[in-house]
Amino acid sequence: MLSAQDMQEAVAHGRQVRAVYVYEAPLRLWHWVNALAITVLAMTGYFIGSPPPSQPGEASASFLFGYIRFAHFAAGYVLLAGFIGRVYWAFVGNEHSRQLFKLPVFDSAWWKEAAFELRWYLFLERHPKKYVGHNPLAQFTMFLLFFLPLLFMIVTGFALYGEGAQAGSWASMLFTSWVVPMFGQSQDVHTWHHLGMWAIVVFVMVHVYAAIREDIMSRQSMVSTMLSGWRMFKDDKP
Amino acid sequence: MTAYETQGFKLDNSGKRVVVDPVTRIEGHMRVEVNLDSNNVIRNAVSTGTMWRGLEVILKGRDPRDAWAFTERICGVCTGTHALTSVRAVEDALDIKIPENANSIRNIMQLTLQAHDHLVHFYHLHALDWVDVVSALKADPKRTSEIAQSISSWPLSSPGYFRDVQNRLKKFVESGQLGPFMNGYWGNPAYKLPPEVNLLAVTHYLEALDFQKDIVKIHTIYGGKNPHPNWLVGGVPCAINIDEVGAVGAVNMERLNLVSSIIDRTIDFIDNVYIPDLLAIAGFYKSWTYGGGLSSKSVLSYGDIPDKANDHSAGNLLLPRGAIINGDLSKVHEVDLRDPEQIQEFVAHSWFKYPDEKKGLHPWDGITEPHYELGKNAKGSKTNIEQIDESGKYSWIKSPRWRGHAMEVGPLARYIIGYVQKNPEFKEPVDKVLKDLGLPLQALFSTLGRTAARGLEASWAAHKMRYFQDKLMANLKAGDLSTANIDKWEPSSWPKETKGVGFTEAPRGALAHWVRIKDGKIDNYQCVVPTTWNGSPRDTKGQIGAFEASLMNTPLAKADQPLEILRTLHSFDPCLACSTH
Amino acid sequence: MVETFYEVMRRQGITRRSFLKYCSLTAASLGLGPAFVPRIAHAMETKPRTPVLWLHGLECTCCSESFIRSAHPLAKDAVLSMISLDYDDTIMTAAGHQAEAILDEVMTKYKGNYILAVEGNPPLNQDGMSCIIGGKPFVDQLKRVAKDCKAIISWGSCASWGCVQAAKPNPTQATPVHKVITDKPIIKVPGCPPIAEVMTAVITYMLTFDRLPELDRQGRPKMFYGQRIHDKCYRRPHFDAGQFAEAWDDDGARRGYCLYKMGCKGPTTYNACSTVRWNDGVSFPIQSGHGCIGCSEDGFWDKGGFYERVTGIKQFGIEANADKIGGVAVGVVGAAVVAHAAVSAIKQSRRQQGDASEQNK
Ligand code: HEM
Ligand code: HEM
Ligand code: NFV
Ligand code: SF4
Ligand code: SF4
Ligand code: F3S
Ligand SMILES: [Mg+2]
Repeated sequence: MLSAQDMQEAVAHGRQVRAVYVYEAPLRLWHWVNALAITVLAMTGYFIGSPPPSQPGEASASFLFGYIRFAHFAAGYVLLAGFIGRVYWAFVGNEHSRQLFKLPVFDSAWWKEAAFELRWYLFLERHPKKYVGHNPLAQFTMFLLFFLPLLFMIVTGFALYGEGAQAGSWASMLFTSWVVPMFGQSQDVHTWHHLGMWAIVVFVMVHVYAAIREDIMSRQSMVSTMLSGWRMFKDDKP
Repeated sequence: MTAYETQGFKLDNSGKRVVVDPVTRIEGHMRVEVNLDSNNVIRNAVSTGTMWRGLEVILKGRDPRDAWAFTERICGVCTGTHALTSVRAVEDALDIKIPENANSIRNIMQLTLQAHDHLVHFYHLHALDWVDVVSALKADPKRTSEIAQSISSWPLSSPGYFRDVQNRLKKFVESGQLGPFMNGYWGNPAYKLPPEVNLLAVTHYLEALDFQKDIVKIHTIYGGKNPHPNWLVGGVPCAINIDEVGAVGAVNMERLNLVSSIIDRTIDFIDNVYIPDLLAIAGFYKSWTYGGGLSSKSVLSYGDIPDKANDHSAGNLLLPRGAIINGDLSKVHEVDLRDPEQIQEFVAHSWFKYPDEKKGLHPWDGITEPHYELGKNAKGSKTNIEQIDESGKYSWIKSPRWRGHAMEVGPLARYIIGYVQKNPEFKEPVDKVLKDLGLPLQALFSTLGRTAARGLEASWAAHKMRYFQDKLMANLKAGDLSTANIDKWEPSSWPKETKGVGFTEAPRGALAHWVRIKDGKIDNYQCVVPTTWNGSPRDTKGQIGAFEASLMNTPLAKADQPLEILRTLHSFDPCLACSTH
Repeated sequence: MVETFYEVMRRQGITRRSFLKYCSLTAASLGLGPAFVPRIAHAMETKPRTPVLWLHGLECTCCSESFIRSAHPLAKDAVLSMISLDYDDTIMTAAGHQAEAILDEVMTKYKGNYILAVEGNPPLNQDGMSCIIGGKPFVDQLKRVAKDCKAIISWGSCASWGCVQAAKPNPTQATPVHKVITDKPIIKVPGCPPIAEVMTAVITYMLTFDRLPELDRQGRPKMFYGQRIHDKCYRRPHFDAGQFAEAWDDDGARRGYCLYKMGCKGPTTYNACSTVRWNDGVSFPIQSGHGCIGCSEDGFWDKGGFYERVTGIKQFGIEANADKIGGVAVGVVGAAVVAHAAVSAIKQSRRQQGDASEQNK
């Protein structure tokens, strides 16, 4: 959805505006680092749940499962660092940098737009609209299917990490100490952390598909926007 | 007020009612009420199982491979026997054959339980019914030493040793804090032992307490811990590795040696402490002939300890199998756990509900639905029972019957059946004990006979542990290391619907679990447990169970001290957690 | 003559010197000056053994059985010289009203100074009468004895969490002690059963240091429940190497490989088994080839099958686990995406045709 400011600018400049700078560099960097971290986390996470076949030889000669877990934890730290950076950027970045963390449920216009997008995805609308940032439906999914699960994965992930890091470690004090009792016991945290992975995998599937589809079918650029930061519009119509 | 006759007993509840609740030195919770006539003789007995946990309800819908862990927690005293029964039931349903080594190890574990449980029962749950702790203070340690040396070669028997124990006991009593011995029935005229024998028994009470913890290490080696060692559908979970790399992480030569040495020590302790003590004590109670109950009438045993793996027929079981009814010792009936006409459970007097309570149900079709209510004539309230009404529902125990008969199960039942079948392993020791004590065969059918049979069985079990450990070693020597069969581990290999039954001879008697499996999950699970048999309330015909029968016609020395009641009930080694599960 | 606390400590091998040091530490910790040391010493020297009332609810008595397996101290010494086990229906001589009289006597005489040990738990369904003591619900006895106790020890997973009888659907509504008694310090010593030496260590700790052991957030002594089985498991190198037993009695099992794939719950279970071990240190479940089933954890009966690594989630139906649920979700969404893409492609080509024809107009 075009923000009020964008609208004004667009109107002021007549129909010449065919590109808007949306995603600033730190946000784009975060997006791809985050995507990479999640890919590593999901792959190693899956193997933590269902390890590959046994290694031959002396235990001391191999550290395969140790490396898998190490990669998971390292990627977990990257994810956390990126997340903190992303939250910081939401304060200092442009208006679009805040969208991910907001769910304007009390804004009726937003719901109308979301309904429109839903119809568009259900092939009930012939012509798509233009958006500078995320379209409302995307925002909806981003918040519920990505932001919250990501937060959940970080909290449960570090709660599990704190168990291995032992009582007294920062992760244990900050997370394990309350997360494990809240779930009942550690096994539950594992199960939910594992389920969370699938929630995120589902999000990524839909997200990547939607990004490519919109790139082709909508009236603005998508994938390149996440690379260059510029939203390019394909036509001059409003 | 009712009076009637059943199974040869005249029941009459008109006399003074005496209540014992809780009955202590048993496993779980139990209440007993008796009516005394004017001579303080018991003319009516009512036993109530006062706990229920609903394991049969909880098991529904679960993975049959997990059932052993649930059923094992039915009881921590006979720990493992329910687990073994459970894996056998599931293996029967799924037609799984276990390796020879697994059979030997399972037998060793089951026999370890028999030896341990009997020993602990005798000294720590039963002895104080015969032994007056306070009287031991008056003993002459020198004299105790002489008695000890005359009955056994057990080395710990010097006068100094007994004096030390006596001093410790003295100090303990003088502290004024009597702990578990507080409010005991010390000085009751039913205690017959001289102070010296009391001191001997108290000393061995403490020694047995120290030793029992070593016997169970066999469970720890093969099952990882005790109580509640681990079991496995298809075999045993402990892999064996004798030669290869990594043997230190499995059952290896060192572990096998440890088992072997514990077996030797167990045999030594039972044969040189337990059995001599038992005989010494029995010698002073020969004239106390009460408590026979159903033992001279109807006894039941399923048999156990398969010599070869996977053969559960009577011929391959080292513990006897069969049923005797109506006191006819000339005929041992065959027992079939699958026959819907043989074993049935009734709930007319139990806190459960059936659609038709006049009928019994075979366990494969069993129902467990709680329904707590008191009979019309009960005194007190629903949550404050002053007096039970035995004409209504009065126990959490169901009433199992074999072809309609109430049966006694346990070591005495096993020994009677083995004796009648003329199996020398059971007949000879019985004859020897009777001869040593100068008693007729009839004396076997009593409280004392029950206690003696348990001791003999503990010794039998210890020696059989040696047999199976040797068998295990021979099989390993022949190159067979296998401990588990995993062909049917995956539920995808199971039939859509199937049922099975598994049985053992638990320390307290015949135990079986019946399971129905549907779509890989438990559809119905029913346990009929030794103490369910012995502690059963009445049935539709008014027949009494073994506990109630055993108390009949026993005189009390003091009406306000239930010493004789405890003595006879304890001779069954009641396990109430088991009975109601 | 009363056997005193001092004598108990002496019997434990504690010298007079360290006894006096202990007294001065006690004085210091209570904010009292050195003048109080002799007084404390005197009190200790004449203090009677702490009475323990050990109640049994719905349980299997394996906690008691475990307790008597203690090798250091021997159960015999614990019961005869350290505590005064005045009530414990499993081993006490008295029965019936003679037994019940003991409770009243100790509760009055040692008001506020006795320890209540609970094995098992109270059921609340069936009017509480699925566990009856003296004709009344066990929960009544529990509340009555708890009223004037100094502290409660919840033995085992039954008293601590509910254990097997509280497994779904918990037909008796078996309820852990802390949900019934909320105004007393409760030390949970979970495990099904707990390790013998852990049980006696908790008791001797309380007697020796005259205070409760330090507890974690869930009320367990940190000293024994602060780490997972997995943290100190001797098979851990195989775990890190990726060497697992893949089936019962396979090569890996015989070599002592990690039991993770056989469903071992060591990574999620807080207990001392891999360090203290069982029965005088002879072994523990994993050492004898079976995975940990998590017996000291809350609700371990309802966390899916004991042999599953990625455990079942009953709420999602039979056979469901995280991977299966996830797999289905991915399958459904994947199919939806493919179908959506196909429709989109058709629409797009039509639209392009339409656009073209529009331009042609
Ligand atoms: C693990 C994988 C991925 C995750 C978790 C992920 C997550 C996200 C998130 C959270 C945003 C919102 C950014 C913000 O508002 O701060 C976003 C935007 C975007 N992502 Fe991804 N992404 C992933 C992979 C991809 C891939 C592979 C592509 C390209 C094919 C892609 C293309 C885009 C595009 C085009 C946008 C901007 C959408 C718009 O302008 O409305 N993402 N992504
Ligand atoms: C999108 C993010 C993540 C995904 C998809 C993911 C996935 C997984 C999965 C599938 C498991 C196996 C769970 C099981 O079955 O037991 C796992 C375990 C684990 N994850 Fe994550 N995870 C994520 C984030 C994190 C983060 C941020 C951390 C923090 C360091 C973390 C730490 C752990 C730990 C400690 C374990 C347990 C490892 C073990 O038991 O050895 N995860 N993760
Ligand atoms: N009754 C009984 Fe048990 C035994 N023996 C089990 O089957 O005691 Ni707990
Ligand atoms: S915690 Fe386990 S071992 Fe202890 S009484 Fe309960 S069921 Fe038995
Ligand atoms: S056997 Fe269990 S506790 Fe030991 S390392 Fe493997 S998973 Fe961890
Ligand atoms: S099952 Fe229990 S005994 Fe220890 S190893 Fe696991 S906590
Ligand atoms: Mg039953």
